[in-house]
Amino acid sequence: MSEQENNIEFIKNLIAQDPPPLEEQSRHKETLLKMVKRRIWLGKMTGGATYIVLFSVAFWAFLRSDYTDNVVHSICWAALSLHILLWFLIYFLREIYRAMAEMAEKSFDKGIKGQWRNTDRFITIVAILVFAFANILLYRSFSLSDPLKASDVTAGVLWATVFFIFWYPFGTASLIGKLWFEYKKMELNINNSSDGSA
Amino acid sequence: MEEDKISDAILVLRCQKRDESAFRELVNRWEPRLYYYLRRVVESDSAVWDVLQETWLAVFQHIRRLEDPRKFPAWLYQIAHNKTVSMFRKEIKYVQITDEQMINYYENNFVFCYDIEQVETIHELLAKLKLAHREVITLYFLEGFSISEMAQIIGVSEGTVKSRLYYAKHKLHEALKGAKDV
Repeated sequence: MSEQENNIEFIKNLIAQDPPPLEEQSRHKETLLKMVKRRIWLGKMTGGATYIVLFSVAFWAFLRSDYTDNVVHSICWAALSLHILLWFLIYFLREIYRAMAEMAEKSFDKGIKGQWRNTDRFITIVAILVFAFANILLYRSFSLSDPLKASDVTAGVLWATVFFIFWYPFGTASLIGKLWFEYKKMELNINNSSDGSA
Repeated sequence: MEEDKISDAILVLRCQKRDESAFRELVNRWEPRLYYYLRRVVESDSAVWDVLQETWLAVFQHIRRLEDPRKFPAWLYQIAHNKTVSMFRKEIKYVQITDEQMINYYENNFVFCYDIEQVETIHELLAKLKLAHREVITLYFLEGFSISEMAQIIGVSEGTVKSRLYYAKHKLHEALKGAKDV
């Protein structure tokens, strides 16, 4: 018996000296899994509720822009509804980007680790600042009297999202490309080694 | 052994994607070890189950934060240790020994040998050790963690772990020698 096998056997025997009582263990697992299921369900419900609330608010703002008599307010409400939806889209794109980056990091981890996290942190900070600034501008634009000025400001607010709407899909596409290259390289290595052994 | 580590890492990745069946599999795999460890550090039987429950819920909640799935064992024991400490609302009082000479002696000379047949005796002897010594030696036996990993799990310096491990091994060695002589 090798040393490693000996160790595994020793651990098994040691644990067998004080195993968890079966009845107690199954009761514990049942409770635990019930709690975990509840947490998964709650997570899904919270996600769904957030999605519905954001869309409802955006739609409500859009409807208000239709029914108001004030031109400036109409422009601002329409911009607000788009502002909410676009930032929600950015958040969604960011989540996809992060999921891909984590997958790439765990699969190949060649220099990508610190790199993508630092970039993501920087872009997130910039996004938060831009979002906050856009909110202030939008809030202030409601008190403007000139519709031309209001449309200028709100167009600027909406344009601020464009960079992020482009950045995340391109980042995700580049990560998918990296993953694909690594996969191809791995595939070639497997083919070469199987040719060599044959 | 290596295959187990890889399949554990895959299970962790699946858990990070909120896969319930992967979590169940992870619990099935690790519960007996974790139970054995907790029984060595927690006095009351019912408290063991409470700590176990708390530990697994914390694992499920925070598993997405675990960047390297290969570090899951050390991370799991660290959570179990922290839950034990917080459940009893106090830092478990250990004897602090940092005798450099003893650490050097342990590193250079001391080799602890045991036979697989002695497993029952070792299990019984573990109960006679002090809590601090029992904890490190249990982690050493169960998972073969390195000094730095154990220091991270328990939240003490590497020197302290070395000295505790030295004392625990030394006590077990002496007791096993005594048992053999009898």
